[in-house]
Amino acid sequence: MKLTRLIGLDNLAAEYSYVRDPELGYTSAKRAAERWVKTTCGYCSVGCGMEVGVRGNEAVAVRALDQHPVNRGKLCPKGLSEHHIIAAENRAQYPLLRVNGKLTRVSWDDALGEMTARFGAVQKKHGPQSLGVLSTGQLVTEEFYTLGKLVQLGFGTNNYDGNTTLCMASAVSGYKVSFGSDGPPGAYEDLERADVILLIGANIADNHPILCQYLEANREKTLIVADPRVTKTAMMADIHLPLKPRTDLALLNGIAHILVRERLIDHAYIDQHTTGFDELARFLEDYTPDRVAAVTGLSAEQIYRTAFLYGRAKAGFIGWTMGVNHSTQGTETVNAICNLALLTGQIGHAGAAPFSITGQCNAMGTRETGFTSSMPGYRKFDDPGDRNDLAALWKIDESRLPAKRGCAYPDIVEGAVAGRIRALWIIATNPLVSFPNQDVLRQALSNLDFLVVQDGYHPTPTTELAHLVLPAAIWGEKEGTYTNSERRVGKVNAAVRPPGDARPDFDIFLSVAEKLGVRDELYPGWSKPEDAFNEWRRVSRGRLCDYSGITYQRLEEEDGVQWPCPEGSADQAARRLYTDGTFQTPDGRARLVCAPWQPFPEQPNRDYPFVLNTGRTVEHWHTRTKTKEVPILERLSPQAWLEMNPADAQKLGFRSHCRVDIISRRGRVRGVELRLTEIIAPGQVFMPFHYFETNVNEVTQSAFDPVSREPNYKQCAVRVERTGVTS
Amino acid sequence: MILPLLERARAGDTEFVLASRGASRSKAPEALVQINTEPARTLIPQRALRPGEQYRFHFDMTKCIGCKCCVVACNEQNGNPAAIQWRRVGEIEGGHYPHTQRHYLSMGCNHCLEPSCLAGCPVKAYTKHPATGIVLHSADTCIGCQYCTWNCSYGVPQYNPERGVVGKCDMCHNRLSDGMAPACVNACPEGAIAIEIVDTLQWRIDHLTADAPGLPPSTDSLSTTRVTLPEALAPNTGRVDTQQIHLEHPHWPLVVMLVLTQMSVGAFGAMWLLQITGSGGGLLAPALSSLLIAALSLGASTLHLGRPVHAWRALRGWRTSWLSREVIGLSAFAGAASAYAGLLVLDEFTGAILPALLSAAGFMTLLCGVAGVACSSRLYVVKARPSWNSPLTPAELFSTALLLGPLFVRAMGFNGASWLAAAACAGAMAQLGTQVIKLLWLARSDVFELRASSLLLSTRLERPLLARLAALIATTILALKFNSMTACVVTLLLAICGEGLGRWIFFVSVVPKNIAASFSAAGRKAA
Repeated sequence: MKLTRLIGLDNLAAEYSYVRDPELGYTSAKRAAERWVKTTCGYCSVGCGMEVGVRGNEAVAVRALDQHPVNRGKLCPKGLSEHHIIAAENRAQYPLLRVNGKLTRVSWDDALGEMTARFGAVQKKHGPQSLGVLSTGQLVTEEFYTLGKLVQLGFGTNNYDGNTTLCMASAVSGYKVSFGSDGPPGAYEDLERADVILLIGANIADNHPILCQYLEANREKTLIVADPRVTKTAMMADIHLPLKPRTDLALLNGIAHILVRERLIDHAYIDQHTTGFDELARFLEDYTPDRVAAVTGLSAEQIYRTAFLYGRAKAGFIGWTMGVNHSTQGTETVNAICNLALLTGQIGHAGAAPFSITGQCNAMGTRETGFTSSMPGYRKFDDPGDRNDLAALWKIDESRLPAKRGCAYPDIVEGAVAGRIRALWIIATNPLVSFPNQDVLRQALSNLDFLVVQDGYHPTPTTELAHLVLPAAIWGEKEGTYTNSERRVGKVNAAVRPPGDARPDFDIFLSVAEKLGVRDELYPGWSKPEDAFNEWRRVSRGRLCDYSGITYQRLEEEDGVQWPCPEGSADQAARRLYTDGTFQTPDGRARLVCAPWQPFPEQPNRDYPFVLNTGRTVEHWHTRTKTKEVPILERLSPQAWLEMNPADAQKLGFRSHCRVDIISRRGRVRGVELRLTEIIAPGQVFMPFHYFETNVNEVTQSAFDPVSREPNYKQCAVRVERTGVTS
Repeated sequence: MILPLLERARAGDTEFVLASRGASRSKAPEALVQINTEPARTLIPQRALRPGEQYRFHFDMTKCIGCKCCVVACNEQNGNPAAIQWRRVGEIEGGHYPHTQRHYLSMGCNHCLEPSCLAGCPVKAYTKHPATGIVLHSADTCIGCQYCTWNCSYGVPQYNPERGVVGKCDMCHNRLSDGMAPACVNACPEGAIAIEIVDTLQWRIDHLTADAPGLPPSTDSLSTTRVTLPEALAPNTGRVDTQQIHLEHPHWPLVVMLVLTQMSVGAFGAMWLLQITGSGGGLLAPALSSLLIAALSLGASTLHLGRPVHAWRALRGWRTSWLSREVIGLSAFAGAASAYAGLLVLDEFTGAILPALLSAAGFMTLLCGVAGVACSSRLYVVKARPSWNSPLTPAELFSTALLLGPLFVRAMGFNGASWLAAAACAGAMAQLGTQVIKLLWLARSDVFELRASSLLLSTRLERPLLARLAALIATTILALKFNSMTACVVTLLLAICGEGLGRWIFFVSVVPKNIAASFSAAGRKAA
């Protein structure tokens, strides 16, 4: 400390001074910006419009766009401090190659040369499918589009999936089964215009707080929240349905049962726009209110009340997130949600939608363009029309398109364990925190001949295991677009230059293509993200996710545009899908799906008496790679905790704040601070998943939805012990 | 302060009455049309303040979703480090699953009608703005004594060690002046925080309606914040941060000061008694050394300040601040003690000083010292720190003076005067009694902070506490049984250590009042 400060002559007044900023008004001088760059928030998929304030090459402030149609001048705590993620100390700056066991700085040319050589050697020896690629929902759409072509056509492997499979895959496959295509049908405005809103397994107050202002503005609504935990969102509800874990499918079927029996259904809509009603009606007979009450732990009266409210709603909205998706029955639960909307015709008009509230900033972009679970433009691998269409657009032989989807994320991991996947490219995701049952993952990664991790940060738990680390530019340093939950495409802009030698993922992909010798073929004349965007506009033309009317210029001027936006469409009003009742199935009719409820796979027993639920906290984003670097967020939520009901704690002799271990059949998390609270039911415990230091995914299980391949993160059986005391 | 907000309101201009500046410039987005059919939601005042009115926060607990946007926005607005949060969000919980209620309490400064931070400030760094009632703090005037942080029942002023000064929420008064909403108001996605106008006289009657679970009583300093509570809060609704109590800062320089100044005052008291009982020969050495100790301890106390070089400013607040009065009292004591020691020196060399003059000087020294210690102890008697807020605090400090003063003089060659040992024992017994009464008082209280202090003393602080009490008993026995010079010195050192430990316990065991915090332990340290 300087002497003048020590004796008190200096009180750092200059550092703590204020300015009257023309944009921000009176504020800390630390935030005074020379210029403002409009962009879209890079955390979650709400898609808030904001500006980054830049001084020199430093992002010093952010502000919400007041007139932005999504966030209306507000940002969540992560968004409000987002500029701090850019200048973090642990940003990856240089390509690092493992030489004699140690990561050593190399040039980009050497790095990419090594990467293509090693991948090539592996693929030559073990076949093209021995290369796996795990991508993300964090890149811009242009990058997803580019990467999809690079992996499927350049590297020739279809063992390519994103961390979106850990997140929204059940919504995707549920939509595909019910409506014939992915694509959330509603708009945020529906939250404001619905008179009945049912949120299932969605704690938006913690995870999408900016959407809460739509609820706040809707004074006429009845808000029903189904969640086993009394979350912040449940506290906002008019009716909270504290159902037993993973009984949502039974509840939904029970509601459908009452709707059918009490004739609260829209026969005209069902007749014209759906198939499968008779089978469904028969199937639902078993889901009597009494049986559903016994399964869910709710009263028959609560189920009736919910069914009548939804059945009689002028505009009924059903929103869901991970409580539904993170399940071995995620797809079916989504189908049951869609059933309710179809039975009552609550879809395609203002306020009425079944609506998945997406997680990552651009999970939607990768779903549309990414070439993982479907081909770009929601094209199906097995649809000859789609195949010919795409091959023609790309001017390639149709046979080069993969015949089917490759391995999904968990199957790529399994493949690595089994030795079928020998090299892996992980992009902008951190499975060492996020993948369930970490033991399996560690075994998978240790089996690999070559692991490339491309990330904006190093070290992360995952980059530390890499043979090659590729430093990428992050949000705020690159250009492109994100698509949000309501299918609004938002522009993302570079505010500052990336640190060191870090490069935008787009540039990295083009350089890899160049090393492979496929750049000119796959990306003729491309140099900037807009080139990819323009090709994507052509490729999406006429598809459900039609971007052809969207230009970069329009995005800047209108603060985002919702798809479908065919060329020539200038309408700025909220867009919804299926307004005419025509769906993306061959016959244009939506499917009513019989989805039988089953108990979750790992039931508690004497040795593992608690059901462990996992989730998030408002201060942190996913695996905390970014938010750990934001001092105020880290300060507000510095460590994991385990929630337990006081009644259970009393039986075990635990006190609040004592340290506990959580043990499942697969592993143990040590030294977690115990929080005694009535927000969790007796017999259940809850723990946030953001924290590598105490990683709940050491104990979660390898159980996946058979269709979407999404992990069942939300329920597994555990026991809880005092740390250091073995029973 | 310029107040265009008010001027424009007077001029009948209502255009500025918007939650954010940007919204006034742009057309309302389409989706907002619905909202606009409702009465306009204005989050900052629409009219000028009239005499007898001030601004205040309104917090609507029914709207808050605990997202902490306000906390982050405040830190960004003020460029504060993460550890310093001028706005904080606490949690309260009640009911039983599934009828659980969890609510959040977002609080900045309450801009009290009788701000205890302001009254206690020795340097007049605080002002209550005459027009707006906003309690403002000047970082330039502040010397970092942190007395305001002890005086506020809500933990609002927070010390920034990096700067050496305190800071606090000023309701973004400069933004308000410009017609813009404060950062927290602007950031809240739910519109849960607003600035409104309060009639201060009426509020003196109504302020009890400001009380909320997890919030210290509004009576402490007449908090102006209005809180809208949810209907039918569960009867067991309360804060969630009560299960883990942290030790407070020990304030080492103050530990040193609060032992040594009292020893010095006690020593001059003993010397004065020796003087008037005619056994005053040889007082020069104890007087000079006591004076030196007093000077050192006063000097050491400035190390407690964030800005020691400006310590002199602490005289400014003498009209209201007990800290200023302590500085004055102890300075007077040091002055009188110097004069007394000077006379003793003269007497040593000339023998010409009248005994009456010496005893008068000794008495003056004692008087100033007692006044100084009285101010010292009074300044800890604050509502915001319940375990200090009792007559036991002066009793503790004066007992130290009575214990250590005689032991010091005795160890300076007056080991023959047996009454000194007796006086010290009386001091030890008084201290023991004070401590026992305090422990019983804390243990039997139903006030959370007092019970929490008791819990600390019986758990984490049990050993230091027992050692401290044992030191008192051992001192008594040694003082009564042995009077060799070596024994006297050992007894004194033991007693000093015991009292030092006691003072450390005094500082770390206090559980201050504060607004409810979040469960997270580290989050609470910030509070």
